Amino acid sequence: MTVISAETIIAISLCYFALIFFVAFYADRRRKAGRSLLSSPHIYTLSIAVYCTSWTFYGSVGKAATTGIAYLPIYLGPTLIAFGWWFLLRKMVRVSREQNITSLADFLSSRYDRSAILGAIVTLFAVLGTTPYIALQLKAIAQTLEILFLPLKNIQEPASKLIPYLPGQLDSAFIVTLLLALFGIIFGARHLDSSERHEGLVVAVALESLVKLVAFLTVGIFVTYGMFNGFTDLFQQFYERFPERTDLFAVGTEAVPYTHWFTLITISMAAIMFLPRQFHIMVTENSNEDHIKKAMWRFPAYLFLINLFVLPIAMAGILLNDGDTSQADYFVLTLPLAANQPWLALLVFIGGLSAAAGMVMVSSVALATMILNHLVMPVILKLKLRAQDLSGLLINIKRLGIFGVILMGYFYFIVIGDSYTLVNIGLISFMAAAQFAPAMIGAIYWKRANKHAAIWSISLGFFIWVYTLLIPSFVRSGWITSTLLSEGPMGIGLLKPLELFGLSGFDMYTHALFWSLMFNLGTYCFLSILTRQSSAEKTRAIMFVDVFAPQEQSDEKLTRISKAPTIVEFVDLMSKFIGEKPAQNAISAFLADKEIDHRGSLNDQDIFSLKSFTEKTLAGHVGAGSARIILENYLNARGSEMEDIFDIFGSVTIDGAISREHLSVLYDISQLVSSSESFQSRLDRILELLAQQFKFDLCVIRFLEPKTRTLLVKSLVGETFNHFGKSERNLSTDTYIGQAFLSNVTTVVNDTNELEKPASSEIVREEGITSFAHMPIAIEGEPVGILSAFSRSGKGVFTTEFIALLENIAGQVGIAWRNEQQIGRLVLVREQEREMQIAKEIQMGLLPAALPPMKEIEVAGLCVPAHQVGGDYYDFIVRENKHCDVVIADVSGHSIGSALIMAETRTFIHSRIYDIDNPAAMLHALNGYFLKDLDRSDLFVTMFYLQYNPANRLITYSNAGHNLPFLWRHRQQQIETLDAEGLIFGIYKDVHFEQKTTCLEPGDILLLYTDGITEAEDNNQNMFGQARLQKLLSENHRSTPQELIDLILTQIRLFTGYRHFNDDVTLFVMKVLE
Amino acid sequence: MKKSHPESSLREAWILFMILGMVMINFPFIHIFDSDLSFIGIPRLVVYFMYGWPASIAVIWLFVRRLEKESRSEADMEHHNSTGNTDQ
Repeated sequence: MTVISAETIIAISLCYFALIFFVAFYADRRRKAGRSLLSSPHIYTLSIAVYCTSWTFYGSVGKAATTGIAYLPIYLGPTLIAFGWWFLLRKMVRVSREQNITSLADFLSSRYDRSAILGAIVTLFAVLGTTPYIALQLKAIAQTLEILFLPLKNIQEPASKLIPYLPGQLDSAFIVTLLLALFGIIFGARHLDSSERHEGLVVAVALESLVKLVAFLTVGIFVTYGMFNGFTDLFQQFYERFPERTDLFAVGTEAVPYTHWFTLITISMAAIMFLPRQFHIMVTENSNEDHIKKAMWRFPAYLFLINLFVLPIAMAGILLNDGDTSQADYFVLTLPLAANQPWLALLVFIGGLSAAAGMVMVSSVALATMILNHLVMPVILKLKLRAQDLSGLLINIKRLGIFGVILMGYFYFIVIGDSYTLVNIGLISFMAAAQFAPAMIGAIYWKRANKHAAIWSISLGFFIWVYTLLIPSFVRSGWITSTLLSEGPMGIGLLKPLELFGLSGFDMYTHALFWSLMFNLGTYCFLSILTRQSSAEKTRAIMFVDVFAPQEQSDEKLTRISKAPTIVEFVDLMSKFIGEKPAQNAISAFLADKEIDHRGSLNDQDIFSLKSFTEKTLAGHVGAGSARIILENYLNARGSEMEDIFDIFGSVTIDGAISREHLSVLYDISQLVSSSESFQSRLDRILELLAQQFKFDLCVIRFLEPKTRTLLVKSLVGETFNHFGKSERNLSTDTYIGQAFLSNVTTVVNDTNELEKPASSEIVREEGITSFAHMPIAIEGEPVGILSAFSRSGKGVFTTEFIALLENIAGQVGIAWRNEQQIGRLVLVREQEREMQIAKEIQMGLLPAALPPMKEIEVAGLCVPAHQVGGDYYDFIVRENKHCDVVIADVSGHSIGSALIMAETRTFIHSRIYDIDNPAAMLHALNGYFLKDLDRSDLFVTMFYLQYNPANRLITYSNAGHNLPFLWRHRQQQIETLDAEGLIFGIYKDVHFEQKTTCLEPGDILLLYTDGITEAEDNNQNMFGQARLQKLLSENHRSTPQELIDLILTQIRLFTGYRHFNDDVTLFVMKVLE
Repeated sequence: MKKSHPESSLREAWILFMILGMVMINFPFIHIFDSDLSFIGIPRLVVYFMYGWPASIAVIWLFVRRLEKESRSEADMEHHNSTGNTDQ
């Protein structure tokens, strides 16, 4: 008999793992390159097949050999529910996408009021239900390894002694554990964002699914057609040799009653949807809803194929082992070995390894995400860690979680080993998943379903699950005395775990399913109907149930955040939990279509949606419950509050205690606030309405005058003697109104006989006031005024509800006030803009509109102001003697002041040009003229003045501290700078301006510019500089002046990257024609 | 007027098929099939599942095909409608 050495088996297994690693890495690489492998629906379908674990791979045959066709329902159920994936699964996917949901626990927690408790409960149960299942996978790997090492021999020897290289304490299962944990960590916890898909993991799982299918089909075909002559032959031989076992092919027998069959179908339907790993693969990792369509029939087809040869292999095993089914679980492996096909057996082993590895990896990642988000995160938030960046810590916790979950499975396997529990843990796990079914389905189809119902139904369901399934299995494993089963706890027969409340005659799964679902579903329905949802939860419910309905405007619009954090603060908050770069990416995606005002902030509405966005982004990393807590804590710490505006019927400020009349007053007032009347008349009408509706004798609105710190009456309705209401009020706590304003709390006096402040009591008595109230008018928590109401007739009119109403009215007045302020500011800005526009037009008119055509020279000029008006100036003036004067000047600043100085400069030059005939004299005269003006205005002017004589092509020039112009010498092919000494205007009275002359030749180019050119900055604050300008000039000396100017401007624009120029840009070019 | 949403009729079909499927793989329906060998030498119940299962998968396949056709024609119709509107 051929035997493959242990070394070869280990080497090939490791190679296989390496292959999976490689494929997963490749997938991640592809994704980064933007060509995701997940765009194929095949990958999605195959990855769902993570449903088929080693329990399927080996266990199906075992089950078929012992209990017959009862292995089938586990796969018929998923086929049945796949019919509805387009409705059920797609809805789960859509909801999860929109809410950034990361796991099953997150889904439930997110739907049910973002309850942290529910998330923690679901996580605990999921871990409890899954860990043994992981143990089962590890056990399968370990046992199949042993079978391969010692084919057909006594396999009682522990594996640890079989592998010569390992230290005594370690066994092969532990090595596999480490490898799987490593894989899970590398591909499941590279980034923190769980809503970001784990491409590598999914592709690896898909590959494993393919391998296990191929392996199983190969061994199936080999057994059926190689060792026997097909299906018919197998059945004939089986029926001849074991006629007493034909019950295996029937349902409704003693071993498989119809109820058991029904139970298996039901729980497998729940399992395929709600096992944590299935949820992770099908919902969280889904990249495209359309893939569901393909998976709907391909996945059942996969199940059909992988089950096709289960019965033949089981029969062959029974036939070849003379009816012995004690090792039936490993027939798949032992049959090829018995047929002397060790390589085929190795393929089977690899298939089984794939099945186990896929399950362990996905489960551990899914569970680790849940543990991090729903168990660890709330604790971290409680501790209020002060760390700047928690993302590093969180990702390591997640990695630890993956490792921990797998390690827990390993210890479970070591401790429990071969016991009854392990064998049946597959079904027990499925039953656990079934406990999530009511809350999950209700989550997306029943709006009334609420948090209490979900928490209690799941808890109760799990309690029954533990009591009727887990405890009996522990009893059978011998850890708990069996009297519990036979007599019930403390002898109470009605509480026997397997015959709860006297229900007997069913198998334990049917029994457990009935009772757990009965309590689960019952509690869920009853509590949902009997208890109320909070308004926040209602909103969540609508988001889930109506996810496909067209999005209506939610009430978000009606809420604003007072003292809202800025964008930067939101980013900092996100960075703390998800790391800086992801936070920056997220915020830029959010801001892409938002308008940001000049202060770099958003409007109220956008700030609110930014808050929702931040919460959603955080939810993608830490779960919905934790995200809510983070934001609430953060906003509370800042003193920010969500406040209602405009929506007077909203549930926050107005509760049911307020009467219909009150509501109608509020409604009228809100109409008034938003009416188009003037501010004053709006205030007056609000007070009239108030006085009339509630029979007040006097109503006053006062606003704070910031300069004098007094409260000035803005509006008054009612009668007053002694100008009581009209008087100003100083801000002091001696008066009630001062106290109300300073403490920003409503002050109420329901009986003026009991006044505590002597300063007020006298006036009050004189006026005959019996009761009054002062309501602060506050904007973003800051009081700006007081609304006062006085009554002369009634005492005790100000009830709590009434005060709430008046406070609301005060809030509305505040809104009106704020709108007024904003409108005022807006009008001011508009007026300024209009003035600036006029100024701009005037100023542009001061520059030469078109330069006159000359015979021997060609000139061109350009001035681009950085703002509406600028301080740059250039001019080209032709004198009567044909001499041409060229001026370029730069007034500092870009204000109206600069523009005025510039206009003044121009006027001066134009008016004096006929009596001042040389540049130095002109500059000197200008300096004298500007000395006083410039000194006062803190402005200064630089200027370069040049005169060209066409007769001899001589230029005469002087400089007042201006940038030195360039002169392209055509003959020498080089650039000179025109330097002449002189100080900027407005510093000293007597400045000597040097005057120089030089002769131009044909082809020479003169370039005058302002520092807006050389000091133009790119994004890295590099300046354009003189060198670049000179280079442009020398490279393009053949261009005409206009072309040259256009070119320079284009280059500057390219250089600044289309940023706004930060200074005016002015150019003047003169070329001597050849 | 627009007809009822195509998906709603599909949803009804799905629910009916689910119920039908539930019936067809449960007692008493599968009681029809016993463990006796059928004429092709395979137990009747096994034959039922060996052919019934792929048949049900074929039903899903047809269902999905219908679904894709509906969504395509719906998209076409919307396209048609929008062009029709601009014509007016």
